Amino acid sequence: KNLFINENQEENYFDFEIICQQTQKKKPFSFKTHKSILSSRSQYFKSLFNSKMKEYQENKLVLQDFSTSIIALILKYLYSGKIEINLGNAIEILIFSSKYLIEELIEISSKFIKN
Amino acid sequence: MSRKMILRVPKFQEPKRMEKSEAQRLWLLLKDAIVEVQHMNASTLSFEELYRSSYSLVIAKRGDILYTGLEEVNNHHTKNLLDKIAQAVDERFLIELNSQWQQYKLQQIMIHDILMYLDRMYVKEPQLKVFDLGMFKWKQNVLIHSQINDRLVRMLLGLIHMERNGEVIDGALMKSLIQMYVDVSLKEKETYKQEFEERFLLATSHFYKSESNLFITNNSCGAYLKKVEIRLIEEEARIKQYLDESTGPKLIKACEDELIANHMQTMIEMETGCRTMIQNDRFNELKLMYRLFQRVENGLVHLKNEFAGYVRNEGHKIVNQPENLKDPNALITSLIEIRNRFEKTLSQSFANNRDFINSVNTAFESFLNENDKLSESLALFIDKKLRGGFKDSNDQEIDVIMNKVILLFRFLSDKDVFKKFYEHYLAKRLLSGRSFSEDLERTMISKFKQECGNQFTSKMEGMFTDMRLSKDALDGFKNYLQTSVEMGKLPKIDMSVRVLTQGFWPTFPPHSCTLPPLLSQYCDLFTKYYCHAHTGRRIIWQTNIGTAEVTFRLPKKTHVLALSTYQMLIMLLFNDAEKLSLKQMAAGTSISFMDIQRSVKPLYSGKYKVLKRTPAVEKSKELSENDIFELNLNLKCKLHRIKFAATSQTDSEPERQHTRQRVDEDRKIEIDAAIVRIMKSRKALIHNDLIVECTKQLSSRFVPQTSMIKKRIENLIEREYLERFPDDRRRYRYLA
Repeated sequence: KNLFINENQEENYFDFEIICQQTQKKKPFSFKTHKSILSSRSQYFKSLFNSKMKEYQENKLVLQDFSTSIIALILKYLYSGKIEINLGNAIEILIFSSKYLIEELIEISSKFIKN
Repeated sequence: MSRKMILRVPKFQEPKRMEKSEAQRLWLLLKDAIVEVQHMNASTLSFEELYRSSYSLVIAKRGDILYTGLEEVNNHHTKNLLDKIAQAVDERFLIELNSQWQQYKLQQIMIHDILMYLDRMYVKEPQLKVFDLGMFKWKQNVLIHSQINDRLVRMLLGLIHMERNGEVIDGALMKSLIQMYVDVSLKEKETYKQEFEERFLLATSHFYKSESNLFITNNSCGAYLKKVEIRLIEEEARIKQYLDESTGPKLIKACEDELIANHMQTMIEMETGCRTMIQNDRFNELKLMYRLFQRVENGLVHLKNEFAGYVRNEGHKIVNQPENLKDPNALITSLIEIRNRFEKTLSQSFANNRDFINSVNTAFESFLNENDKLSESLALFIDKKLRGGFKDSNDQEIDVIMNKVILLFRFLSDKDVFKKFYEHYLAKRLLSGRSFSEDLERTMISKFKQECGNQFTSKMEGMFTDMRLSKDALDGFKNYLQTSVEMGKLPKIDMSVRVLTQGFWPTFPPHSCTLPPLLSQYCDLFTKYYCHAHTGRRIIWQTNIGTAEVTFRLPKKTHVLALSTYQMLIMLLFNDAEKLSLKQMAAGTSISFMDIQRSVKPLYSGKYKVLKRTPAVEKSKELSENDIFELNLNLKCKLHRIKFAATSQTDSEPERQHTRQRVDEDRKIEIDAAIVRIMKSRKALIHNDLIVECTKQLSSRFVPQTSMIKKRIENLIEREYLERFPDDRRRYRYLA
């Protein structure tokens, strides 16, 4: 399910992990990511790293409110600028982008819903 | 077949109404975290957890709890900080204040990051943004508190004072503390301006007022200028180092006012000031003065007026110096010298500023036209140069001198007077064969042409044409003589004639004389030849400007004398007489007594005396008509050919007046033409307007006197070119 990796793990230079854990029952899913990309694409991540709080110290962030598939979509968007939006995920994308203040995505998803 | 899709709404998304207790729990969680941040213990907190809590409160419409809570926590914290900072003594105070401030600022950024959702979605005007709220609390409870503000400003100004006196201070600390005033200003840097900048500018003015007063009384103007320049550079650096850039222009203005504007008059007048610098060509000091004065309002006007005044004064001295009035060459040379000098000042010190150049030119115009000497002096100066004065100069030097001549010429208001004199001397040069180089003559004329147009030089060019045509005519005459019947009967003499077109050449005052029969016959022959070749032309002989060579036989030796025509006539009389009185000479030649006097003088009083006075009278200056002369047969001279000056090089007073008269005659014609031209196009005009228009039209050639224009108007009315309106005597009408 991890969309943005090379064959060779060594060459990916991941330095940050995003863990999706919606409930205690389910097994958590981990996305391997890059701080430099996340912080340049999102004010939330920029502040998260600048604050030097727990997430920065441990190099991982646990998200509880969203499904693995949504997080994968959003990460893909942050990395590539592209989003695969459809009737099935539009509202969740809107909620995610509203919470984390991703302006462009708020616009795309709310436009999609209106139509 | 199309598949219908339905918008899927996730099941958990309907936000439940949040219980008050839940809201309280979330706030307490955040409050604890904020306090931790304020104690610099943030590393164990979860950013996502805090962010989510703030988000939850806001979407549950409980943002108010969070916002007012934050305000309280900040309030409390800053009040605690105040006590801590105020307790610090002496230099510790600034250091403590600065370190607390730096920490506080970082904390506020962090708090802002955590509460980003609150900041974006909840805070509405006029509420302050989260970060601004933090700044405001610091300002309210720390910075402008009576225990801090005054103490801080005094210490900052004290440090700046020390630095201005040459001590080293901590620039980074200054920058941070001064920037604090900017940071806590909510809009347009108001706190910075009110609390710091105003007092800083006042202290600056005060400092430089006393420093400049003291310095200028104890030092030379040059030293003061250097000091000012250094001070301004220092203040520029100060702006960059620790002031807000918006203070820059105000600070520099305050310094310029105290250091330059307030002392301008002193710097001009003081003993070592502007005047002395101009006098002594202190180009670098003047350049600095120019640069500094340029910075203040009207600064350059002062400097310019001072300089122009000096130029006018120097010029006035030169044109009125008795030695210069006697010696046109010295006069023009001095004028060219000061022009060069001031041009150097203009370029080296005053950046060739247009205004400065114009005012120097105005000064030149005014003193060059102070007396009417200049037109003639300038013409004489060029005359001397073109008679051989350029011999030792190369092309470039000649061009420079010619351009200077043109420059001075440009300032003359009576260019027509100059023109007359120039033509006069040009004619003399050409006729006496004294012109050094025709190329140079033509170069000079082409420069006048460029300056004033064809009309100005057409006569001069005509003279050159005449010279060329005369040569052809003379060659033709010589051929004619060889074939002529009459020629056989006449003894051979070598006669050379120049045919001058009337109008191109200055009219020489008419003189008459009786030529010896032989010469007279030759003249008639030439007239016959020439009028035959050019029908309709009339020849008038101008014997007074001719030259001749005669053989002077002494018992032991023979000389050739180069004489003027008149001198020749006088000497020829001695072929038939031993002794002659001046009266007899005049009778024998029909030359006027005055010309006899002038012609005889070089013959008996020069270095080689061919005539002697009998009886010999010592030092009797005035010749009377009964004075008697005889040939000096004891003449001792190694030269075979002896040259005698016909007349003095410069003109005699009557000749000069004659030239002036002709200028006046020409002016009448020019004024008439101008009046008619104006009236023809305007049909009717009021007297004053006509005078103004007329003066304007003629100004490129000369400045006509109003009385003269009036006379010409009267004259034109008499000649029925104009008439007065019957009902308004001040208006004229053009009569076609």
